[in-house]
Amino acid sequence: MPFHRQAEQFMEALNFVSGRRTLLCLENYSYAYPGGRDFVLKNVNMAIAPGQCHCLTGPTGSGKTTLLLAIKGLLPPGRQKGAVSFSSASLKTGIVLQNPEIQILGSTIGAEVAFALENHCVDPVLMPEKVAKALSDIGLKLPLEGDTEKLSIGQKYRLILAALLVMEPGLLLLDEPVAQLDPPGLEKLLTVIRQLKASGVSFLVCEHHPHPLKEVIDTFWRLQRDGSVRRLNASPPQIQWDRPYPGKSPSSNSSEKVIKVRDLAVVDENASSVWSDVSFSVAKGRRVVIYGPNGAGKTTLLRCLNGFVRPSKGSIHIWGESPSPVRLRGRVGSLFQNPHRQLFENTVFDEVAFTLKRLGGDRKSMVSKVEDALSRCGISELSGQSPHKLSYGQKHLVALSSLVVYKPQLLLLDDPFAGLDQEKSQQVMEILFDLSEKEGTTIVWTSHNPDSLSDWAHFALHVEGGQIVAQPV
Amino acid sequence: MSHSRFKGRFLRVPAGPKLLTGLTLSMCAFGARTPYLLAGLTAANMLMGFVVCVRPVTLFRRGIKLFFFQSAMILMLYILRFGIEKGVWPGLQTSWQLFLAFFPGMIFMESTSQPQIVQALSRIMSPRTAFVLSVCMKFIPLMVREVRSIYETQVFRGANMLPRNLLRPWNWPDFINCLLVPAIVRTMSMAGEIALAAKARDFGVKKQRTCWPGE
Repeated sequence: MPFHRQAEQFMEALNFVSGRRTLLCLENYSYAYPGGRDFVLKNVNMAIAPGQCHCLTGPTGSGKTTLLLAIKGLLPPGRQKGAVSFSSASLKTGIVLQNPEIQILGSTIGAEVAFALENHCVDPVLMPEKVAKALSDIGLKLPLEGDTEKLSIGQKYRLILAALLVMEPGLLLLDEPVAQLDPPGLEKLLTVIRQLKASGVSFLVCEHHPHPLKEVIDTFWRLQRDGSVRRLNASPPQIQWDRPYPGKSPSSNSSEKVIKVRDLAVVDENASSVWSDVSFSVAKGRRVVIYGPNGAGKTTLLRCLNGFVRPSKGSIHIWGESPSPVRLRGRVGSLFQNPHRQLFENTVFDEVAFTLKRLGGDRKSMVSKVEDALSRCGISELSGQSPHKLSYGQKHLVALSSLVVYKPQLLLLDDPFAGLDQEKSQQVMEILFDLSEKEGTTIVWTSHNPDSLSDWAHFALHVEGGQIVAQPV
Repeated sequence: MSHSRFKGRFLRVPAGPKLLTGLTLSMCAFGARTPYLLAGLTAANMLMGFVVCVRPVTLFRRGIKLFFFQSAMILMLYILRFGIEKGVWPGLQTSWQLFLAFFPGMIFMESTSQPQIVQALSRIMSPRTAFVLSVCMKFIPLMVREVRSIYETQVFRGANMLPRNLLRPWNWPDFINCLLVPAIVRTMSMAGEIALAAKARDFGVKKQRTCWPGE
């Protein structure tokens, strides 16, 4: 009997037993990438019914995205066992990958939503009506000739969903939406998921931090490190920060000002104001979170502090002087989003030692400093490995080690926890906390989630609507 | 949100004639070898920019920045090789010509929406190739942002690649190892991600494609 017939029979049996229609079924599904020795996914068994939202959690690098790509049929032809089957051969699936910026392929809203229609050779005359309906279903009231570059990340995310809805899919696969979206964007996404579920569309969401989506999720699954999937009885617990509150920590008592900002204003390349009248100061050893919605200018503020963006008005003083990369090198550590992009050496040891080599010093002390940094970050065993072959979370820790190694007095971090699971986020938090408490390092980092790490910061800078306001946490 | 940045300031010129004018101006740049011809060609470029772009001043500002940066690099090499007396004018002329070869492309990109580009290119090549070309052009600004981000991070890690460092050739390996290598890796990874995003929406399921009728 052909394999696809066997899979269909299995689906029928499952439907009969469960008493309800099953939209998607994975039966003992295993997959190994071409040339890969081990199976990334092992004997995965899952079933999703129409109108349900399932959430797949699991550690960074465990294969969650691989599972989504397997369901969508986008994996390269590696070794496969078992079956992925749908209730009907005509059922369509849509997938939203990480990083909405990369997935917007059109320059105008109409062209973006019509992309799939173009690929299926739909008559151009019929396109505007279908595009308008998809946009209306998703609650985006935007002109069809509008520029996609000008949308917020939340709007871009919903635009991609509209571009999938135009194909009338029965199942939508979302890869880590919480990491991409700020609270207003998440709220809109929740509304869309609720509405689409009611109309029979199913969802499978891969997420490290599923709590913001908890109310729409019907079933939780966990992808284990060995590649198997386990059904959870309840939502996975959130890790709590159990260190002392900042007010009680000794590092918060210093009066030496590291950063002083007065009446700062910045304009973008089109001469429009990003924000203005910004004043705040940060003392030595303090931890400050800059939070605000996507696109509010958080990264721009960090780039002002490290001297790469010149303000249009006002002044910045870092240790009493205007910031410039030349002056700050060696004293300031800077980590931007997706820090794995900065890796270029052949071994983890060389990657971490790079800054020390440039700053000078003898070989013996360099070796001990690198070993100490690797040990602090818990990656000593990776010392001789190529940084390019590590998992996302491990690369993140290597990038962080390359800062920890020279003990900068000021750390500027742009969304340092993006894409990390709870365990790795906790590990990064511990490293930064120790650096701040033991070495007196001042830390400034950005986040689009106001709830994240509020226990951890001495104060917050809230960026919104062209203003930045300092707030105690 | 403004509705479109692709509607001309004075005229709504279709993409085909714009592409043809841009290509002609670009080709003329290679033949213009006297200051008068180069000045005349610059004026023609500015006229085209004023006519077809909504924000010509922003575009010109960006162009001037590019011109100065490029001229500084080229002049430095010419002066090193031929000395000040014999190196300045030929270096400036080469930089001016190169700039005038690229600038019509910048005007075209600034004033033409992606569907218009695809529609124009589809007349001379397959719709799939036209789409791939137009997507490549769309992602150039994102790539520039990525490279800038890598550059800033590596400078703080101690890489000697600030403009003043690059005046000394022994710092050039830092530029290659710390910026070029990660930038190439990132470009390849982005190309993979873009291709995956296109395949996820059924790009390539049929040999032919239709085209969105609007802008």
